[in-house]
Parts: sequence; C-alpha cells; structure tokens
Amino acid sequence: MITQTPKWPVYVLGSVALVWIIPLVGIIAMSIRPEGEITSGWWTIEPFTFTLDAWREVWVNYPIGRAFLNSLAVASFATVLPVLFAPAAAYAFHYLKFPFRRILLLILVNAFVVPNQVVIIPLFKLWRETGLIDTYWSVVIPFVGLSFAWAVLLVKNFLSNFPRSLIDAAQVDGCGHLRTYFFIVLPNTITAMAAVGILQFMWTWNSLLLPMLFLRENATLPVMLSTISGAYEPNWDQRAVATIITSILPLVIFLFFQKYFSADGKNNSGSKG
Amino acid sequence: MSVQHGSILTSQTQAGPFAGLATRLFGGNLRRADWIAFALLAPTLIFFSIGVLYPLFETIRVSFLDWTGLSQPKPAGFSNYTKLFSDANFWNALRVTLTWTLACTGISVAIGWSVALISGLAPKQTAPFRVAIFAAYGISETASGLMWLGILQPDFGLLNGILRLVGLEGWASPWLGEPSTAIWGVVAAYVWTQAGLPLLTCYAAIQAIPKSQLEAAHMDGASHFQILRYIMAPLSLPGVRIAIFINLLNSLKAFDMIHILTAGGPIRATETVGYFMYQESVIYFKQGYGAASTVVLLLAVIVCSIPLILDKASESK
Repeated sequence: MITQTPKWPVYVLGSVALVWIIPLVGIIAMSIRPEGEITSGWWTIEPFTFTLDAWREVWVNYPIGRAFLNSLAVASFATVLPVLFAPAAAYAFHYLKFPFRRILLLILVNAFVVPNQVVIIPLFKLWRETGLIDTYWSVVIPFVGLSFAWAVLLVKNFLSNFPRSLIDAAQVDGCGHLRTYFFIVLPNTITAMAAVGILQFMWTWNSLLLPMLFLRENATLPVMLSTISGAYEPNWDQRAVATIITSILPLVIFLFFQKYFSADGKNNSGSKG
Repeated sequence: MSVQHGSILTSQTQAGPFAGLATRLFGGNLRRADWIAFALLAPTLIFFSIGVLYPLFETIRVSFLDWTGLSQPKPAGFSNYTKLFSDANFWNALRVTLTWTLACTGISVAIGWSVALISGLAPKQTAPFRVAIFAAYGISETASGLMWLGILQPDFGLLNGILRLVGLEGWASPWLGEPSTAIWGVVAAYVWTQAGLPLLTCYAAIQAIPKSQLEAAHMDGASHFQILRYIMAPLSLPGVRIAIFINLLNSLKAFDMIHILTAGGPIRATETVGYFMYQESVIYFKQGYGAASTVVLLLAVIVCSIPLILDKASESK
C-alpha cells in the first residue's frame, strides 16, 4: 500500500461517477413524476410532484408481465445450456485425444468473430420452414451456439490451472473419463461456470436484435421497449418505468456477483502444491 | 502438456498422424476414448452447427446469389460485391463504421484506463465510484438508449436544458436529429455502457502489480504521478490490450444502440455496416445484396481479430 493516499483521485473519480449516474437519476426521476413535469424538464426542481401513477398504468398499457416472463425464459435457457455443455466440451478438448481435435477447437474458439448480423437471415428462413419461429428455441439455439466460443475457452483455461495430480489419482483409482469428468472436474469448475453463467444471462437478457426478429409474438423486455421508443413519442413516464423494469434484474445480478469476474482458477481444487 | 496426455490417457502406440487418421476414418475402429470425447462434445457441436456454422455458410452462399424479394435466386458471381463498392450508401456506411468504431473504442478505453489508473492510487476510497461506472455495463443498450434520450432529447433533455440555463441558448440543438451531431450522441450513449469493461480489465492488471514494488517506488521518493505514469501505466498495458480488442469487436458488431436512438438516420448519418446490412436484408428484403454486406462486416471483424486468432492458435494445443 502506498503509505499516504492522495485526496485528489477521490474528487476526480467522484465527478466522473456523478456524470455516470445522471442517466440513471434521470430515468428514476421520470418514473415518479407526472408527465407534465417531465416535458418541462425531468431535472427541474420546482414544482416536484411525487406520483406512482406511471408504475400502475404501465401494467395496463404494455404487456410487461408477459415480456418479463419471456425474457426470463429465454435468458434462463440460454444460460443453463452452455453452463451444462461447455465444461464437458472443455474437458474433452483438454484431456482427451481424438480425431480433428485441434481443428474443431480452433473453429469453436474463434467463432467469436461471428456477429449476430450473420445469423439472422438464414436462421429466420430456417425457423419459418421448421415452425420454430416465435418459439423460445429460435433465439436460444443461436445464443447457445454463439456462447461456446468464449465459454469453452474460459473453462479450458481454467482447466490448465487444474491440478493434474487429481486427474491422475482418479485414473489410478479406476475412474473412467466420464466418471472423472462428473465427479472430479465438474464440481471444481463451478467458479468458472458462475462467471460464464452470469455474463451469458446478462447478455441474453439484454439482447435486442435476435428476439426482435424471431420472437414477434413473444416479445422480450428489450423488444417491447424498442417498439415504444423514439424521441417524439408520448408516455415518457411509463417508458421510464418500463426501462427500469427491463434493467433491474441484470443490474442487481451483475452488481451482486461482480467479484466473480476477476476470480482466478487457483482456489478450491482440493489439492496442495 | 501434450506429453502428459500421451502417458496416461492414450494407450495406443503413436503412429504417424496420417496413418492414425486413415485407420480411424476408413475401417479402423474409433477407440473407446474417441467415443467418449464425441459424447462429451455432442451437445456443443449440435448447437454450434445449427446456431452458428449453418447460418454462416448460408450467408456466404446467398451473398453470391441474385436474390431480391420473392424472386427465384440466380447465381450472380461477385456481382453483389462489385455493386456494393459502387454504392455511395455503402461507402457512407464504411465511413460511418470507421468513425463509430474508432470513437467508441478510443473513448471507452481512454476513460476506463484513466479511471483505473487514478483509482489505483486510492483503491479503497474510490471503490463505490468504480462500481457506479462498471454498473452501466450491466444495462442493456436498449434501456441505456432510452436513458440517454433524457439527456439528448431536444425539448426537455438535460443537455439543452443546461445550455439554456447558462445562456448558451443558441447552442441548444436536436442532437440526434442533426446529421452532423447524431453520431456523437449515439457514441456518448454507447461509451456510457462500454467503458466499464476497460475499467475492469485495466484495474485487474493494476491490482496484480506487487504492492512491494509500489512501496519501493514511494520510498525512493517517486511522486503519485510518477508512480502512475512509470509503474502503473506500463504494467496495465495487457489489460488495455484486451479492452481494445473487446471494445473494437463490440462496436463493429453494434446494432441495438443505433437501432434505438436513430435507426441509422438522420439521412444515414449513423448507419454503420452492421446497420446497413439490416436495412438491406430485413427492411428492403434484398437478400443477396444484404448478405454480401454482412460478409464484408464479418471480414472486417476477422481482420481486427487476427492478433487474437493467432494467440488462440498457439494457445489451443
């Protein structure tokens, strides 16, 4: 620790952080003031009327409860599947030898270059032909597919710090690969998978492009928000409420678990040295 | 690493790689370990093939077709691509993409890195400020866009409000409705969501600097600024490098924020290639043409990722 902590960083970063929370303050102010006061400036102080009308009306005017459930379903499926599959794939890539291993791994981990824009048109046609359009699968499948690029890499990197001796011990004791995977490796990848899961949940919950095109009948929260946006439309107070409802869950999860993102792989593996 | 694999996990004698491959493909038995490997990989490969590989190849295939609206697709060679590069709108999209990508990446990383460095001088006292800036990364671009309308909206937005308040009435402007300023409005909103990431990676790199090194510098009489400039800044460069890549790729692929705030307008002033593709394919239904512009976007992302790809190629042994 530097023996004397200077004061000025506190002031400088305090002002930056202040700028950073202004949009948040704005949206909260809009959600609790009548629309008349918003359109004369949400940031004005006089007169200030507190009202929760918008919070009540938003349930009537927008299918927000339905959208919330849709978002929850999409994000949950799109998070649980990679969390189940990525460690298995990473285990195979890290500990096993099989034909095409190197080339498969290279294709998979470099798929991060594929933008969402590449998949939308072919998948739209495929979903329409197979009747999957407007089902959760239509967005869950590409979300899961696109997640492996970084999920598999993250778990595989975690495994390179995993004590080799544990695996060897299991093999000596007669564990096959499947048992080694399920009983030795899987329980120990929980930290890495927590990071994968939290980020994936947040990204899929927040995503707009794919659900906007594939889930027209089952709009998620961002899709619903996008249909009521535009600088000149009325109902600012209700839109503010909808914005808060859309943001609250990922924000809380994100803040609660942020320590996981800097977690490294050298903790609880049950082996010394 | 690979030596260790050999000793325990593969009992087979090591023939040449091609001999091994040949027996496996033609008549040779896949070993039990191979079946286990593919069983473990199967779910990943299935989702990956349907969700990524199939649409990727299909987009590339369609980009070589003359396919508009409901017409029958015809082979078109490279004509979609030659048309793209003689289309003034596409050149505009390339120009906007360049400005957008450089501005978003440069400003996000500059802010995130500076905050991380300054915060490294007083880590405990500035923790809540870091959280505030980082938190915006958890908010969707859709919601962030609506939050920023509260600032950029012409009639009651905060920015024009402040300008009127301090007597700069003439500077007030419909920021997002003006072609020359619209892109900077969208950049501001996007940077707001993205700066948390460089903050995280740079701060992690600064935290990894041994405390003894900072104390030694302090003992030797280095000022806070010198510690920041000559120790923290160079040692946090790995974090900066990661952040530049991630922000660069994210802003190249960006869609949501542009869609919410300006939908590419006014008069295409905020139309990046990632949005041009959407206009052509989804709105105008020019499938072959849209696919060709998507392939250009993909190539741009690949070119920017070459250092990362090389990294991974050497890593993935």
